[in-house]
Order: sequence, then C-alpha cells, then structure tokens
Amino acid sequence: MSAGLLARIGLYAAIAAPLLRIAASDRPFLVQVAIGTAISAILALAWDILSRTGQVSLGHAAFFGIGGYGSALLTPVLGPVLGWTVGILLCGVVALLLGAVTLRLRRLYFTIATLSFSLSIHVVILVTPGLTGGSTGIMPPVIAGGSPPLQLLFITGCLVVAAVVSDVFLGGRFRPAFFMIRNNPDLAAASGVPVTRLKILAFVVSGMVAGLAGACYCGLYGYVIPDDVFTTNWNVLPLAVTILGGMDTTLGPVVGAVVLRLLEEVARHLVGGVGYQVVYGAVIILFIVGMPEGLVGFVRRLIRSRRRQAAEPGQASAKARLAL
Amino acid sequence: MTALSIEQCTVAFGGLRAIDDVTLALPAQAITALIGPNGSGKSTFVNMVSGQIPPRSGRISLGGEAITGLRPDLIVQRGLARTYQVPKVPKELTIEEVISVPLLYAGSGRALPGGARNAGDLARYCGLRPAVTTRCGQLSVSDLRRLEIARALACRPSVLLLDEAMAGLSLEDTEQVIGLVREIHASGVTIVVIEHVMRIIARLCGHAVVLNQGRLLAEGPPQEVLRDAGVREAYLGKGFSL
Amino acid sequence: MTAAIIQAVLLSLTVAALYAAVAAGLTLTVGVTRIINFAHGEFVMLGAFLTYWLYTRFGLSPWLGMLASGVALGLFSMLVYRGFLARVLKQDEHNQLLATLGLSILILNIAIILWSPDPRVMQAPALLPSAQFAGVTIPGNNIVVAIVGLLLFLVMLGIKNHTRYGTQMRFASDDPALAMHAGINVDRIFELSFVIGGAAAGLSGGLVALVLYVQPTVGVDLVIRAFAIIALGGLGNIPGALIGAAILALVEGLISTFVPGGGSWGFGVAFLILLLVLLVRPSGLFGKQVHA
Repeated sequence: MSAGLLARIGLYAAIAAPLLRIAASDRPFLVQVAIGTAISAILALAWDILSRTGQVSLGHAAFFGIGGYGSALLTPVLGPVLGWTVGILLCGVVALLLGAVTLRLRRLYFTIATLSFSLSIHVVILVTPGLTGGSTGIMPPVIAGGSPPLQLLFITGCLVVAAVVSDVFLGGRFRPAFFMIRNNPDLAAASGVPVTRLKILAFVVSGMVAGLAGACYCGLYGYVIPDDVFTTNWNVLPLAVTILGGMDTTLGPVVGAVVLRLLEEVARHLVGGVGYQVVYGAVIILFIVGMPEGLVGFVRRLIRSRRRQAAEPGQASAKARLAL
Repeated sequence: MTALSIEQCTVAFGGLRAIDDVTLALPAQAITALIGPNGSGKSTFVNMVSGQIPPRSGRISLGGEAITGLRPDLIVQRGLARTYQVPKVPKELTIEEVISVPLLYAGSGRALPGGARNAGDLARYCGLRPAVTTRCGQLSVSDLRRLEIARALACRPSVLLLDEAMAGLSLEDTEQVIGLVREIHASGVTIVVIEHVMRIIARLCGHAVVLNQGRLLAEGPPQEVLRDAGVREAYLGKGFSL
Repeated sequence: MTAAIIQAVLLSLTVAALYAAVAAGLTLTVGVTRIINFAHGEFVMLGAFLTYWLYTRFGLSPWLGMLASGVALGLFSMLVYRGFLARVLKQDEHNQLLATLGLSILILNIAIILWSPDPRVMQAPALLPSAQFAGVTIPGNNIVVAIVGLLLFLVMLGIKNHTRYGTQMRFASDDPALAMHAGINVDRIFELSFVIGGAAAGLSGGLVALVLYVQPTVGVDLVIRAFAIIALGGLGNIPGALIGAAILALVEGLISTFVPGGGSWGFGVAFLILLLVLLVRPSGLFGKQVHA
C-alpha cells in the first residue's frame, strides 16, 4: 500500500517536474505549449474517468465551456475561490442532469446524445447575450495576473489534482466496479454494485474535472468567445488524447497530450498553416491501426510479454494452457 | 421454513408470458432443482427473482421480507445471489478484483462460507488454482465457472441461484463443483440449481421444481417429479432420457 | 403570413429530403456495422466537389455528375473500408469512433489545403423549372433535391427490405456470429453496406452542390444533423430516418423563419428535441426497444 502510494507520488512528481522546469525557464513559447498541453491532459483525464464506466462521451466541450464561462462570470461576483468552486460545481450539477437523462441510452445513442448536448449548450450561450455575452464573448478575469509562468504553475497544480482524482477512481473501490459496469452492467448489479449511482458519480466527477480544464483555459488571456470553447475540437480532443496515450490509466492521457502536442508542433513547423490538422488526422489513423491500446497500453504489453518470456518454460506452458 | 417465496408472479414480453402465474415456496436449507425444457422460463425465473426483470404482477419475498420490484443490487444486499450461465467478466480484471467487487458492495453482514476472510480465501475455497493476480482473460472455462461461484459467494448470500454452473465442464470438474455445492450448502446457504443433467439433480437435490412454458408443472422430491407423466411429456421429442 | 408559412414548410421539406438522403446511407451502414462514420460528411463533401468540378470543368450535367459522384464515392468507400476500417471492426467502440473522426479530419483538411476553404456556387441552370404551389414559388433545384432525395431514400429502403443482400444485412447486424454460422460472409456484407452508404453519400453530395455552397466544411454540419436524425428515428431504421429528417428540418426551418434572429436557434432546438425523445424512447422513435 505505501509502496503504491510512493509510486503514485513519484508519478505526480514526474508529471509536474518538467512543467515546473519549463515555468522556471525563460522561454515564452515553451511555456504556452506546456500550458496548452496541461489543459488537454486535464480534459482527457476527465473524459477517461467517464469512459471507465463505458460511457463514451463526445460532448465534453459542454463541460469545458460551462466550467470556463461559469468561473469567469461568477468570479467578479463571488471572488476567485468561490467563483471557481461554484463554476465547477455547476458543471457537476449539469453532469448530474445529463447523466440522469442519458443513463438508459445504449452506446451509440449515448455518444450522439452527448454530442447533441454540447451543440445545444453552444446555442444556449448564443441566444442569451444578456447573461453570457452571446457571440461577442466575455472577458474572464485572468489567472495569476496574466503572467504565463505563474499560470503554468497554477495549471500544473490543477493537473496534479486531476491526476489524484483519476487515481482515486482507479483504486480498489472503483476500478473493478467501473470496469464491471462497462463490460457487463447486469453482472455488476448482481454483485451488489449500485450501477446507476456509480455511472452518475463518474459523470459528475468527469464533468467537474472537465470544467476545471475549461476554467483554466478561459482564464488565460482575458477574452473568450463561445467558438473558443464550445467547439467540436474540444469534443474530439479528449478522445484522441486518451486513446493515443492509453485508456484506463492516469499516465495515458498525460502522455497522449504531450505526444499529440509534440506531433502537432512538429507538423506546424514543417507544413505550416492548416497542414498540421492533416497530420493530426493521419496520426489518429496510424495509431488506431498500429497501436490500438495506446502508448501506455503498448508499453505495458511489451513489459508483460518480456516477463512471460523471462519466466521458466514450465510456467510459460502452464500459462499457455490456462489461456486455452 | 421458506427461504424464498414467489406468489402469482407473471413476466411478459409483449404478448408472450415467459413466467405465467407461478406460485412457489422454496424450503430453506435445501438444494432445490429448477428444471424444464429449453424456453420453459428457467432463465427468466432467475432474472425475475434476482430483480433484473421485475415481474409484471405478483409478490416475491426473501426470508419473509418483500423484495418485489427492488433493484438487483438491493436484492443482492438482502442476501440473494445468482451466477450467470456464461459469465462475462471484464478480461482486464484479476480474479482478486472480480471477487472484491461484491465483497465491497454487497455487504449483507453474513459470514463468508468456509471461514473465508478475503478474495484469496474464496478463490481457494472454490478450487481456483491460478494465482489471484491472474487476469480473467487468461482463465479457462472451468476456472471462469469457479470464479463466477466465488463472486456469487462473495455477495454473502442466504439464497444462491446457480444457473447451469456445470454445463460444459469435464466429468472431473463437474464432480469437483458438485462437491463445492454440497460444501456451500453445508455452510447454511439455501441453493437453487438450474440443471439439465438429471443424474446431477438426482444426486444433489432434495427438492425439484419443473417449469414448462412459463408455468409451474410439478413440484416435489426429484424422484417423484421425474416420474410424473406431465414432466415426461414436456421433455418428449427432445430426445431426453433419464 | 399563410403564404410565408407554406413557403417555409415546403422549403423545409425539400431540406428534409436532403437530410434524409444523407442520413439514409448513414443509417444503413450504422444499422449493419454499428460504426458511426463521421467521415460520411466528408464523403458528401467530396461528392459535392466532384459534381461541381464535373460541371464547371467539363460541362457535365449535374444529373450525370451526381450519378458519377455516387459511383466514385462508392469506390472510394471500398478503398477506405479495405485499407483501414476493416482493421478497426474488431476494436472497441471508442476506437472505431476515433478512427472515423481521424478520417474525417484528414479528408476535411486535405480538401482545405487543395481547394481552399472558400465557398463556391455551382452556377448551373436549374435542372427543373420552378413550381408554383398554393401561391408560393419553389425553386427548381429544391424540387430536384426533394425528388432525388426521396428516390435515394426509397432505394436504400428497397435494398434493405427487398434484396438478398438486404436480408443478409439484417441477419448480419442482428447476430454476426449466428450469421457467420449460417454461411453468410459477414465481412463482405459489412463492406457492402459501407460501400452503399458511401455511394449514397456521394450522390447526396451532388444534391448539396445544387442548393448549398460547395466548400470543404459543408459535410461537417450535415453529418452532425444526420447523427441526430438517425438517433431520432432509431439507429438502422431507414423509415425512421425520413421522419427524423422531416422533424429536424421543419423545426429548424420554422424557427429560423419566424423567430427573430433564430437562424442559429433552430439547430440547437432540434438537438434538444432529440435529447427529449431519447429520454422517453432510449432507442429512438422507431428503434427496437430492448428489455433490461
């Protein structure tokens, strides 16, 4: 147990250290890239938590945007701490409602419903200019006085919080139950698991973590329009980042965010313009075909097969027999 | 003393009555066989009692307490567990993790059988030989069956429904599972066995219930029930022999 | 006012026919393969561009252009299926989802690079004369869209309900393992359904070129609407898609005509309706409702 805890703290340190190193460096471009990567990673962690219960969302832009708008609009009224708290809680409430509505939906219906939800929320923002600024957008209070290195420090903290939350839901209390819900909800219920409650819990937590990512994003420059946050891009990104990095892990979404961003920057440098988007699509396709379990899953499988090879031949054949 | 009582229960899919006005009282501390030809409603019966498909009408009570219309997980907490005929467990989970789920969530307060205290004990009790850290994706069919029984036992049930727990097992494995069922029974659990093989039923069960086309056809000691003309007729044409 | 209502309703119905054409192919594929193909919108876009180029470069009549687009996109779909999607079939649903999203992003951005994001108008003379109905005028091209859209829709329905392949498709989607035992080549049926869906997308792309701007992003909104439509009607249910398309197009059309500034409203309201319908009927209006 304590060894596990140590390993986890090591993981958080390994995630935070490079970001802090970048924050301390004097390279504005790198700081911006790191901020963007960390926000993607938080959003991807949020998506992954939900997907562990078999709910594949294509509507996380809604929570990203509500978290961002909520915190931005509430901070002038309630102050930063309470404003962010209430903004993120608002995401939880919305997730609770959406989770209750989509609970009975089977796979593809769920995905289409979440996508539709995010589009509807976009429209709600556009048609309520009095409250949300409509299409002209809003001017959220900036984080850390607008100093990018300090912003990166703060967002790194948020990423570690998201990683801790993710790990809580990978612990013994939730991981087996979540996977059982995803794989066979009847079996989970027959094992005493309150399936509905856990699915909604996952939705609420996921919505709030996505809201945290959105709040970070909106607090970067002091100006946000609906098209910045309520776009399909933020619906697709967590899916791509998590699957490329490796689902059902805390490390996967973080690695995925870094790798995807690196590839994107390289492509932007080499091709320029919208060319990098082509690379984005191509990378997704290549990964799905070549590494369907993601980077972390791939490495784990390598390690496991190494171990199996290293095991005694007798044991190996016993395992082979078991596999039959 | 009745462990599980079903009063005038009906389950219907559209016009089809899969369970048709069934009234039953299962004696406590017994091993009861639930038999019937294919499509007679045995699986629906298990789904109904375990809360997966609530009855359209009727009452179900467990140890005198009404459980009609309760959610499956709440019925499990009241002390009724079931196994699945084809257990589909997440293949990325280990034996230990699968058994840990009911240990964590289905706390009915009863003791585990065989003095087991954790997932590892239960796995051994059910004769699972692979290490508890083995992933389910690597288990053989007979081990998956044992795991399914271990998972159900981890619900700490007072009544256990075994849905064809021995189907497709080798003779040796079947004998072991029969021994296991007897042991579970001896630890004070009321057991309902859904089985096709009459030989097993005759050896294992003190009581038998026959369903046909969703209706209760016969009830009583296995030997008598199997001699019943109606039961023989229900099985006729299916190449069934005793 | 009445004339305005009639005009709005009639125009919405022609739009509905376009939506139905796009959705019919998609729901046929989804119904069989259980993959929601996000690139379907890009297939429509490619069909629109092809019809547009064939007309502007070679003077080919859009009638023939849309047929050629159908054939071309059918072949393209076959390539995509064999080269890529067949490998994804056995993977988890989220991977399939991401795979088609990746394909969509790839095609969309290649099109933007090659052809620029600018909207184009195919200035072909209307294929049919405009018609007067109850005092309102319906442009000829809208009539073409309505007719061809409905025809395409009927063809999809016919393929599914009245051909040997259709029977096999229904069988293969209900229970792939059993179908395999029954000697049906499930892989081939999956491929065929994908190719037919692609051909339908290409042809509806020709319709798009008649009534909408031809631009790389034209498929994005269309495919999202198509998803809403097929979920509304029940995944795999072709008649359901027609009714879903009519509901969506009418809601959108009427709101954007009669609610001040409602141009962007309609879209959102249509999706709210979808959410409400799914709340009551989790498998859509006409989808098979499953027990437990």
